[in-house]
Formats: sequence, C-alpha cells, structure tokens
Amino acid sequence: MDTSQLLKGVLDLAVLAVLRKEDGYGYDVLRRLRQGGLDGVGDASVYGTLRRLYNAGLLTSYVVPSEEGPHRKYYSLNEPGRTRLLESGKTWKSFAQALDDLLGEGA
Amino acid sequence: MNTQTNAEVQHYLDRMREALADLPATEVGEIMDDAGAHVVEVAEEMGEEFSLAALTDRLGTPHAYAQELRAAAGYPSPAAVDVPTGSRPTILARFALWSLVAGTVMAFASGMSGGDSEELTLLIGLCAVAATVLVFRQSALMPEIERLPETAALTDGLRRLEQGDTQRVLASLRTFQPVWWLGRALLIGSVALMSYRYEPAALLVLALGVLSLVAGPKARTDRRWLWISLPATGAALGVLLLILGSLASQLDAPSPVQASYNPQPSTPDNIYVFDKDGKPLTDVHLYDENGQPLETPWYGCDGRSSGEDNRYPRPRVVHDENGCREIPGVPPFAIVLPTPNLTTTVPPASTVPSGSAAPTTPPSTPTPSAQAPAPTTVTPVTPTG
Repeated sequence: MDTSQLLKGVLDLAVLAVLRKEDGYGYDVLRRLRQGGLDGVGDASVYGTLRRLYNAGLLTSYVVPSEEGPHRKYYSLNEPGRTRLLESGKTWKSFAQALDDLLGEGA
Repeated sequence: MNTQTNAEVQHYLDRMREALADLPATEVGEIMDDAGAHVVEVAEEMGEEFSLAALTDRLGTPHAYAQELRAAAGYPSPAAVDVPTGSRPTILARFALWSLVAGTVMAFASGMSGGDSEELTLLIGLCAVAATVLVFRQSALMPEIERLPETAALTDGLRRLEQGDTQRVLASLRTFQPVWWLGRALLIGSVALMSYRYEPAALLVLALGVLSLVAGPKARTDRRWLWISLPATGAALGVLLLILGSLASQLDAPSPVQASYNPQPSTPDNIYVFDKDGKPLTDVHLYDENGQPLETPWYGCDGRSSGEDNRYPRPRVVHDENGCREIPGVPPFAIVLPTPNLTTTVPPASTVPSGSAAPTTPPSTPTPSAQAPAPTTVTPVTPTG
C-alpha cells in the first residue's frame, strides 16, 4: 500500500505531534518525523505543511540566527495548535481503532 | 561552501522561486526562508559530493519541489488560477510575448549586420519597446503571459533542456553571468557609438545597453526584465559573431591572392568589338570555348536588370543633367589600332612589289665592276717608262 497517500491525510497531525514537546525548524521536524518511522515523508511536503499550519494560526514562528549557516525559522505550537492536536489525535485514534477492528485478526 | 556550490544552490533556489512566483510576495519570502535554508543545509551535508545533479536527485527538480510544497501547503496550483481569469482576452499577453521573441531575433540579426536598420527592423523594434512598456506598466500581464500555451511549451522545453547533462554546463556558465552582463552592455554600447553615431537610434541602443546591466540580475527574480535582457543578449551575441567573423576572415585571407580562386570568372560590364579597320561592331554574340554564351546582367535606366544575354555591346547608361539615358551600341571612345603590328608582319608581302626602292639598287652593282679597268687604261704613267 502506498504510504504517501496515507501520509497526505495525517501529515498535519504528525507535524503537530513532533512539535508538541519541543520547538523545531523545518529540517528538525523532517528529521523527527523520519526518526519516528515516517521515512516516506517528502522534504517539500513537510515545509508546505508547516506553512499551512502556520497560515491557519496553529503555529507561531521565530527566527534564530545561525553562525555557520543560514538563519533558521523555528516553529512552535500555540494554544489553537495544541487544541487542534488534541482533537485530531482523538479523531485519529478512533479512526485507527475502527480500522483495526475491521481488519481483526486477519492482518 | 565554495562559490561554485553557492551559485548552483542559488540557481536551484531561483528556479524554485519562479515556480512559486504567482503567490503573494510575502508568502514566497516566508517559504524561501524556510525551504531555502533547507536546500542550503542539504547541500552542506553533501559536502564534497555536492553537485546540482545530486541535489536534484535528493530533493527533486526545483519545480517538483515547489509543486510538492504547494500541494502540502494548500496553495492553489498555478493551473487552477487559470479558471477565473482564463477567459480574459490574452491578445496583449500574446503581443508582449511574441514581440519579445521577434525583438530578440531582430536584435540578433541587426547586431550581426552591424546595425543596418530597415523598415521591418524599425517596426519590430517599436513593437518590442511597446511590449516592454506594457509588461512593466500592466502588472496583470505577466501571469497572463505565463498562462499562454506557447509560454508553457517554451518553459517546458527549457526545463527539459536543463535536466540533462547540460545542467552541469549551465550551472558552471552561470558563475560567469556577471561578466557576461558587463560584456553585453559594452558590446551594445559599441554598436550604438559605431553604427548609429548620429541617428536617434543611437540613444535607443545606448539605453538598451545601460538597462541591460540592470536587467541581468533583475531578470532572475523578476521575469519582466526579460523584455530587456533577452533582446540585449540577442544584440550582443549578434555583434560578437560579427566581430569574430570579421576577425576570422582577416586571419583566413590575409592577402587578396585567394580572391583569384573564385571559380566564376569576372565578366566586364560591357564589351566593345572592333573590326580590323577599327570600326566598332554592334550586335555581336559572344561564346566561350565550350559554346556557352558569355552572359552578363545589364541594368537599364529603370535600375532593373534586363536579364542576361550575350549580345554586345550593351546600351550605355549615361547619367547627366538631362537625367538618365540609354545609348545603344556606340562605344564612348575611338580606337587606333596599333601600327607596329603592321610593319613587322607586313614587310615580306608588301615591299617586294613596291617600285620605289628598286631604281637605286640595279645601277650600283654593274657600275664599279665595269668601270674598274678603265682607270688603268687611262693612266698616263706608261709613256714615261
């Protein structure tokens, strides 16, 4: 099964989740997602998702100058973001539960 | 990160920015802050193994990267923007695009011809100027031009070209771009000063030269500057070819000796034929050793060729205070046939029958022999001895 199709629907949730404990800049977020097992996630998709969540008012951002490279824009969850994470997390869990039940022992 | 890497990363980012160009400028800036830093970081991680090809391998083409980002960010895809505005008349957009293409070609051609201006050149030049003013004044025109099917075909072709092996070559050439921008301005300036010195066109060409300096770096991010940059490049390349061509021909043919290898023998404009008495002949048809008529073109008073024939002499075209006249047949000069030829060839035939010299010779020979003994008989010495 093509995981990229699955990812499309849950990338928002995944990005919000990896930002819950610690702020991060784009590449950070990408690394955390990959370390968490979502290695099929595309670089550009993560950046696009960050922009969308930011434009939706779920993230705030701040710039940290870097001495060795370009400065980095960090993203952090704000209150609406945390609320969204909770809601979406619940939705996902019940969805995953439902699918697990459907699959039963067969999978 | 060395400058070469920098230039290639910059190129990647520029292409990416292009693919996002229809989004609001602030949004593009934000994206480029994020994703631009990402591209740079990925390039740095590659270290020694960095190449534009490797970068593209890892991240996809700049265009693909931008498309994926757009999709994830929920921006409308550039094709979707078509729908609301697609019905608008695109005559102006089309005019602007094709004026750019024609202007570039024309600039190249007139650069190569050293700035010869004809009516058509002037017309295309005016169109190109009008198109430039249009794209700069009408901000809505650029997206319209980008949506033209011919623009899509053009950019598609260019993109395909950029993905092959040429990608590396292009990337390395890009390092020299600032040098080219300067050289381009100088080349165009030289045309303005040499070819159009006293014509108003000189100002136009000079302006193009100066603007091309600005247009080079600007066109990377603002496509409108292409309307100046591309014709400038065309003109400069044309001039460059002209200069190289004349240099090459000077090197190739240092002496006029090579001109004699011309397989087509040069024919005079007219031929006058005289008979042995020096009387001009008319209506003579000339042929070479192969029986081919020796034909030359002839231009009458109306300036048009009468076609080629081999009947000589041709009417003479005379321009004087009465206008232009065609004088048939008669040569504009008389000839005296050279006399030395007569004396060397004629004597054996002509002196023998002539009687003028004959009387002097016959008496001379018999006289001395007949009279020789006479003095001895007359000598008065004998009676004394």
